[in-house]
Amino acid sequence: MSDPRDNVQQEFLAEAHELVEALSRDLLLLDEAQHRNERPQPALINEIFRSVHTLKGIAGMFGYRHVGAVAHALEDLLDDLRLGRISVDERVLDLLFDSVERFQRLLGLEDPQSPEEEAGVRAYVEAVRSIGHAAHEEQGDPLDRYAIGAAVLSVLTEYEEHRLRACIREGLQLFRLRASFNLTAIDDSIETLREVARDDAEIITYLPSMEGGNEETIELVVLLASRVPEHELRAHFEGRYGTIEPVEERTHLPTLPPRRTSIPSAAPSMAPAPEDDALHASARSVADSVRVDIRKLDHLMNVVGELALVRSAVNRIVDHFKGQSVHRQSVTDLDRVGRVFERQLSELRAGILDVRMVPLGQVFGKLARIVRQAAREHGKEVRLVVTGANTEVDKLIVEELADPLMHLIRNAIDHGIEQSGERTLANKRLEGTLAINAYHKGSNVVIEVEDDGAGMNPHEVRDAAIARGLLSAEASRELSRQEMLNLVFLPGLSTSSQITGMSGRGVGMDVVKTNILRMGGMISIASELGTGTKVTITLPITLAIIRALLVTIASRTFALPITAVREAIPYRPRDVRTIDGREVMTLRGETLAICDLARLFGFRRPSRREGRFIVVGSMGNRELGFVVDQLQGQDDVIIKSLGKSLSSVRGFAGATDLGDQKVALVLDAPALFSEYFDGPNVLRAMETSP
Amino acid sequence: MSQAAQKATLAPDPDSETGAVAMLAVTADDELYGFPLSSVREILVPPPLTEVPRAPAPVLGIIAVRGQIITVIDLPKILNLRVEQRAPCGRVLLVDTGEELIGVAVDRVIQVYRMEPRQIEYASAMGTELSDYVLGIGRLASTPGTAEEMLILIDPLSLLGRFK
Repeated sequence: MSDPRDNVQQEFLAEAHELVEALSRDLLLLDEAQHRNERPQPALINEIFRSVHTLKGIAGMFGYRHVGAVAHALEDLLDDLRLGRISVDERVLDLLFDSVERFQRLLGLEDPQSPEEEAGVRAYVEAVRSIGHAAHEEQGDPLDRYAIGAAVLSVLTEYEEHRLRACIREGLQLFRLRASFNLTAIDDSIETLREVARDDAEIITYLPSMEGGNEETIELVVLLASRVPEHELRAHFEGRYGTIEPVEERTHLPTLPPRRTSIPSAAPSMAPAPEDDALHASARSVADSVRVDIRKLDHLMNVVGELALVRSAVNRIVDHFKGQSVHRQSVTDLDRVGRVFERQLSELRAGILDVRMVPLGQVFGKLARIVRQAAREHGKEVRLVVTGANTEVDKLIVEELADPLMHLIRNAIDHGIEQSGERTLANKRLEGTLAINAYHKGSNVVIEVEDDGAGMNPHEVRDAAIARGLLSAEASRELSRQEMLNLVFLPGLSTSSQITGMSGRGVGMDVVKTNILRMGGMISIASELGTGTKVTITLPITLAIIRALLVTIASRTFALPITAVREAIPYRPRDVRTIDGREVMTLRGETLAICDLARLFGFRRPSRREGRFIVVGSMGNRELGFVVDQLQGQDDVIIKSLGKSLSSVRGFAGATDLGDQKVALVLDAPALFSEYFDGPNVLRAMETSP
Repeated sequence: MSQAAQKATLAPDPDSETGAVAMLAVTADDELYGFPLSSVREILVPPPLTEVPRAPAPVLGIIAVRGQIITVIDLPKILNLRVEQRAPCGRVLLVDTGEELIGVAVDRVIQVYRMEPRQIEYASAMGTELSDYVLGIGRLASTPGTAEEMLILIDPLSLLGRFK
């Protein structure tokens, strides 16, 4: 909280960067549409226009002259796009994508007025201008075909007029809907109408009619363009809204009202913008949301934790008095109030957690540029397909994800997707596809990065590992196909320059894995030679709260995230055999490895051998049975990170306050899995290697 | 809030310009230690400790203080003064190490001493025997008839070093 000006400056930069990210995401969509040879959605171009417009506004306020100049030029270009004066082509896209990089650099400047940037900015502005002024000629006015009164035409904004023309040109039919709206709720009603109309029709404009209103209602004439036949529209709107009728086509040419001069409307609020896509939500959210420092949320969460302590103190008081005959009514009342308090408290907790959730689209947007850039560098054609961008996860996860995903994407393009020549030979589509899919699965979120490239040869990965001395030839003989692929996650395999020519994944897969594991996630890789590679990341939705199974190990309580637990079964020592120095048992015909946590943690083994349990954990396609003494039950727990002082300790994701000042460690299932399965394996390989 | 958390009223060092340092004297295992008062955030009656398996030796366990998980260390152990387990501590000091709040288990809190520069012998001026965690030795002015007492002055900023 130093200089308030600094804070304001930080706020500005944060907002500006957010806008640039939104811009980048939207450009990606535009690029995609272009690749599919589709007309860009008007709403999308509006969104882009809005981001740039807002950026221009705030840049001006904070003296970021260069940012302002670039934004201003773009705004004109986008306005031309919006109004259909120019169309989206590669040259326009290049300039737009270039702007993202440019904005980011300009925002990062020590001196936002820096004269050194002058020339670059001017050249860019010139380039944008030169495109913008190649305006196109209109061929015959399609508006002439319809009997729309001059009075109506004269009040249309330039944008509405453009959409009207465009719709007619595309062969849409025009309709007039007369409907009454309650004056007090008119904004909401019109919003609802937009929603209802979205699939069937585009709302061009609405105007108050001269008749049919009273003190509380107003009749509007809504001008709609639609492909849907008249009777269907009738079924859809009439009864709900009012009468609908086609706008008559006229036979003679009207005299158009004089065109107004082109003034880019600052807030295109009349734009028919079906803003259903979550990717579009960002720019809007700039307007009606508050930016909050995540630490403030953490603080609130701590306060909630404190309140929970108050709650248990009240509980204790109630318990204390319950057995006694005094103040019986008051104790009952206190008990009831305590319960209400608890309910509200859990709602508050849920509310705070909800605030932390943001759509994954925030990080995907950043990736769009990487894809484009990497594809360019390699002269490859790559199409990025994103699904599930509106999948929500904890803000912290989103931030931590950017780097790992960037690595994966770079790898997919550098090593996975082939040059178009090779693709032709392999009978593949010329253009490579890179898919990022996100979806919720239970209380996890799954993110897949999939390419349809050359795939990886497990044997090459193995050979590279042997060549790097990470694995002995002997140890490698026992490896399954999948285990060979998993070697890409070994540190050391990736740093070699010799293997960049390999069709495998080079850069930093071990770093990617470490990052994902640190977030309590899992990563797995699947690859088919000639078909492509898929990396799957599984993450908890929030780092802050998890459902956990509380277990007792040597009289101590531990929490095991329920996401990692498949089942719990009684432990019968006689079923357990020792193979290769490891305890295993047979569960439903499959061999299950067993890990005695008390022994792993170095607790003295409890004397009791019977009556214990095996909690079967599952991660990806692996299973591991954890031996515990008792099962206490399930609970929602808030994970608190252990301090840096304990960062060297493996096996714990954090700790949780159980109330009454008792703290339980939360087991880090992915880390325990990889310690059990990967750790010794790698070590064994190291030992035997020359 | 929590009844075990007992906030100490810690006065800021009044004479910082003259070079005098306020030191909080505590005992652990019959040894006197001093912490710069400015680094001590709070003195707690220790809540139940949760042991952390496989943690570095000086770590006694973790506690929760107002929602935050705090690592508690044993002072003599971090100074390599003693290895065996010891009875539960009497107080936990919350010490700001610059990066993280660390709980330091001590037996008793004695009092705050204001120490003039001449009373402090810095570790850098002494032999190598003293651990990196020690700022120096503070000599308390002895009253007639009693032996001179010494404080082992702890450098709070170094407490995290052991774990890295």
